[in-house]
Amino acid sequence: MLDRYPDPEVFSVGVMYEQLRKRLQLEDMTDTWGYDRMVVSPDISRPGLCLSGYTYKFMHDRIQIFGETEITLLNQLSPLERQAAVKTVFSFPVVCSIVTKGLSPPEELVSASRSSGSALFVSPLDTTPLIHDLTDFFSEVFAPHVSLHGTLVDVYGEGLLVMGRSAIGKSEAVLGLVERGHRLVADDLVRVRKTGNRLIGSGDAMLGFHMEIRGIGFVNIAELFGVGSIKEMQSVDLVVRLFDTDLNDEADRSGLEDKHMSILGVGVPMVEIPVLPGRNITLLLEVAAMMNIQAKDTGSTSAERLNRKLIARMGRKRLRE
Amino acid sequence: MTEIKVVVPNKLGIHARPAALIVRAAVEFVSDVWVESPADKVNAKSIMGVMTLAASGGTEIVVSADGSDEAEAVEVVAEVIRSGFGEEMI
Repeated sequence: MLDRYPDPEVFSVGVMYEQLRKRLQLEDMTDTWGYDRMVVSPDISRPGLCLSGYTYKFMHDRIQIFGETEITLLNQLSPLERQAAVKTVFSFPVVCSIVTKGLSPPEELVSASRSSGSALFVSPLDTTPLIHDLTDFFSEVFAPHVSLHGTLVDVYGEGLLVMGRSAIGKSEAVLGLVERGHRLVADDLVRVRKTGNRLIGSGDAMLGFHMEIRGIGFVNIAELFGVGSIKEMQSVDLVVRLFDTDLNDEADRSGLEDKHMSILGVGVPMVEIPVLPGRNITLLLEVAAMMNIQAKDTGSTSAERLNRKLIARMGRKRLRE
Repeated sequence: MTEIKVVVPNKLGIHARPAALIVRAAVEFVSDVWVESPADKVNAKSIMGVMTLAASGGTEIVVSADGSDEAEAVEVVAEVIRSGFGEEMI
């Protein structure tokens, strides 16, 4: 599991190699040739058919996996045929290729790859596990994503996305949560990815775990509060919107209103908290997180349970009368 | 001091959602506003208070207010109750 996934916009072969080199034990056979080619598809391709001359619908914009089948095929050919076969593949702008099982690629394959400006790697892993690893990783990289203005914090394992206009006090409130032992995921800019039906948030790699606190400046949370105060990735379980209000509040008083916010098409429960002088927003965020956990555990909110009790009591009263 | 008598017209009575509607109407006024059932009299600006009335459908309620805008306050809060909160009526 990687801490952060690269953005698809900058996901070149070089970036992929850097990220997967250890996990797939990749060895570069073409000396950094083709590192600037972009990986544009989460899918992979087996070039066997193309090697044997059938090029219709050959997916050159995918990563080519040379498994035992392909390498055996090449080795059975005469040097001239082999030359022609690899040329068929590399007449296309192939993203890059990976030879699996630690097989040694024929010389013609290496040179054709290099001269077409396409990288070739060798991995000792078996073909199927390698493909699984690769597609796992790619589906994370290419997952739908969005950048949101807010602060993401893990409160008792619950991912709270705190939103609201700038300077309303999101960072200050979350700083309070960190001080209480909860974990900061991202401040100000939250990258949210959708994998399956889950939303996973993380911060910007450059910003790291800095928070900008007015009057103090940039605060490095990891350095100040230690590694226990930060988290690289966290599901987004609850949106808390902070908003300004005068006393004539439009806020939900009972907690019975069922509010949601749609992020990448996934509905996330939302609470809206009016910010008033003297309110301890940190405490309210913590309570909101605990209530969301409880609502998930029990299948109903405390407001609903209290209301059921009240309605039952009124029913009994009417019977008595 | 102004007061108006109303009957809770909806089936479920004043449960949490209607209570929130009453409070939302009452906080708009500077006057003190109360709702009173045969059993108890509570501050209409307190949602917990209004809920503890446990006023079921058919209960007679007195809405009263004291202050500079008391006449309007009782009328508005009484009207919220009369409307049945947009719920099923008795």
